[in-house]
Amino acid sequence: MLSIKNLHASVEDKEILKGINLEIKAGEVHAIMGPNGSGKSTLSQVLAGNEAFEVTSGEITLNGENLLDLETEERAREGIFLAFQYPVEIPGVSNLQFLRTAVNAMRAHRGEPEMNAAEFMKLAKEVSKQVDLDPAFLKRGVNEGFSGGEKKRNEIMQALLLQPKLAILDETDSGLDIDALQVVSNGVNALRAEDRAILMVTHYQRLLNHIVPDYVHVLAGGKIVKSGGRELALELEERGYGWLGIKDEETADSSAN
Amino acid sequence: MKPAPTLSSAFLHPVGHSLPEPLVALRKQRGTALVDMPLPTRKTENWKYSSKYLKLTDDMAIALPAEGKTGSSLAVPGYKVAFLNGVMIPEASEYPDLDGITIQSFDDLSDEEAADLADRLDNTLDNNAVQMARLNSARFEDGLLIRLSPDAVLDQPLFIVHEVTADASGSAFPRIYVDAGRHSQITLVEEYISSGSEPVMVNTVSEFTLADGANVTSIRLNMEGENVQHIGATGVRQQRSSRFESHSVGFGGPLRRHDLQVRLEGEGAECKLNGVVVTQGKQHYDNHTNIEHVAAHCNSEETYRNIAADQSHAIFNGRIHIHQDAQKSNAEMNNKNLLLSNGAEIDTKPELEIYADDVKCAHGATIGQLDEASLFYLVSRGIARREANVLLTMAFINELVEQIPVAVVRETAQTRLNQFFDQTFEEA
Ligand SMILES: Nc1ncnc2c1ncn2[C@@H]1O[C@H](COP(=O)(O)OP(=O)(O)OP(=O)(O)O)[C@@H](O)[C@H]1O
Ligand SMILES: [Mg+2]
Repeated sequence: MLSIKNLHASVEDKEILKGINLEIKAGEVHAIMGPNGSGKSTLSQVLAGNEAFEVTSGEITLNGENLLDLETEERAREGIFLAFQYPVEIPGVSNLQFLRTAVNAMRAHRGEPEMNAAEFMKLAKEVSKQVDLDPAFLKRGVNEGFSGGEKKRNEIMQALLLQPKLAILDETDSGLDIDALQVVSNGVNALRAEDRAILMVTHYQRLLNHIVPDYVHVLAGGKIVKSGGRELALELEERGYGWLGIKDEETADSSAN
Repeated sequence: MKPAPTLSSAFLHPVGHSLPEPLVALRKQRGTALVDMPLPTRKTENWKYSSKYLKLTDDMAIALPAEGKTGSSLAVPGYKVAFLNGVMIPEASEYPDLDGITIQSFDDLSDEEAADLADRLDNTLDNNAVQMARLNSARFEDGLLIRLSPDAVLDQPLFIVHEVTADASGSAFPRIYVDAGRHSQITLVEEYISSGSEPVMVNTVSEFTLADGANVTSIRLNMEGENVQHIGATGVRQQRSSRFESHSVGFGGPLRRHDLQVRLEGEGAECKLNGVVVTQGKQHYDNHTNIEHVAAHCNSEETYRNIAADQSHAIFNGRIHIHQDAQKSNAEMNNKNLLLSNGAEIDTKPELEIYADDVKCAHGATIGQLDEASLFYLVSRGIARREANVLLTMAFINELVEQIPVAVVRETAQTRLNQFFDQTFEEA
């Protein structure tokens, strides 16, 4: 489904990703772990098409189609979804209006009719229950004043509404209490499907108890330095990153020097 | 040195329409005072950014004809008064017939009523601050006097549609005066529209006096064409525990100027002033507001938002003057500005003058662009870039549009905003 070959990307002339190779097939769940600043969010943002990051070489294809040729919104319509590590607050745009506009943009792309306000409200209420968010949140501004955990649940709610082909979850587990972790994990597991892939960025192996990945990769210094199965996460939890020849604090930036 | 330009004498000859003698006399006296009035220039502090847009050529001095067809853009169901080129058109108007509420055109006033009005006209305005309003006093040909007896309540909004027909150059000088008695209530919508494409000027003055406990909501919708210079002044005087609410939505033009002056003269009076301005192309819009906290224990709350696209120019100047005896005043002023293009210009200036020591006064002004991170977040959900721009721009003013208490005004404003979005944000 997703194929990344020798991907290099920079921000403000600083190279962050230094040759990423990754193959993800439909139905698979991949976890990416790695020290702070190693480039995990950068990879996520580059996949979603954030123009703040410049792809300097390499390729990314989604089901054979060159992703780098597509604008962010086109990628989303082709099925890329990014749950942000830091979801943006947008006061003045109601969550409901935002979600309905997004869902209808996707429907239009698939040639389906728009959902009217009443139909959408019904759907949104169901899905908000699924992630344990009070429907009152629908009326508030997008992420406005949401707690960290509420923002993360709102991200999963969006994934459930938009039904992407590839869901990239950037630390969707961070800042969640135990119950919320369970709720979010259930949401992610509900997303698991034959024709869908999930790429999760996480620091904690505890998430992987709830959502069992098929593969675990370690990203350090802008490269994938180790890949393995689920047991790799346990090993990292126990031993840190040192045994891989990476210092815990090593970042994409410092490894360049 | 070149002598400062002065007002052409062509402007000082009112014509045509008949008015009761006391008003004719007043007009004449005001006109005499304007002989050799210096015109605003770059050096005139309160016209600093706007004088270059003002074109008072002699052809603007001609009074536009007080006849023709009216075509309000507000298909309003309820009470309305139609003005055409500054003169009231009774056939196109529908007055409420309610006890305690009198609505009269100036030319229907008895000499006694007219004399009383002549004594009061201009009293809500600091005429030195609004030089251009003085021109209205010298030239108005008609006007609307609305009087509410104590406790009278207008049960529906009253729409006043001010239309100019710009089939030839010239000007119009509409005028209204609202005298709200004790504990009376009224919601009034002033809509400014135009037809035709010749350069014209509208110079308009609206005055409101609020007796104790009166509650007045004034809505102003400025939708005139690209050929219309608009110079407007609104003066408000508030007695004890009265409440004045103003909602203005304005779209730019070759020159758009509105001065809003509120005097809080009785304890416990409060005002809330909301304003939205949208400019595009080479348009201009200038809001000058002045709140005088004269009495103690008064509240003022002011929120203005400007959106400037293309090479347009928006200006906000908000003055709050807290007088020495106005202890326990509470004043809040907030102005946020959104630049949608690098070529657009916004000038904002808060002016606080505080002479009392026990007051709360907060103000803030910002100028920014659409937030890239917010845009990315929206498009990453498949929302088209144009739509994302519209959502974020509406987000900037939504709060104010939603507060406008008359649905048909919100809808009219939204329709015009949608046109603006169509012209400003390209289809992907
Ligand atoms: N907009 C930016 N401008 C400058 N530097 C940036 C920018 N975005 C990211 N970086 C830098 O790129 C490097 C990688 O950042 P990234 O956010 O991808 O790390 P991460 O692996 O997600 O870290 P964390 O685990 O802390 O979330 C860091 O050194 C960061 O400071
Ligand atoms: Mg990160």
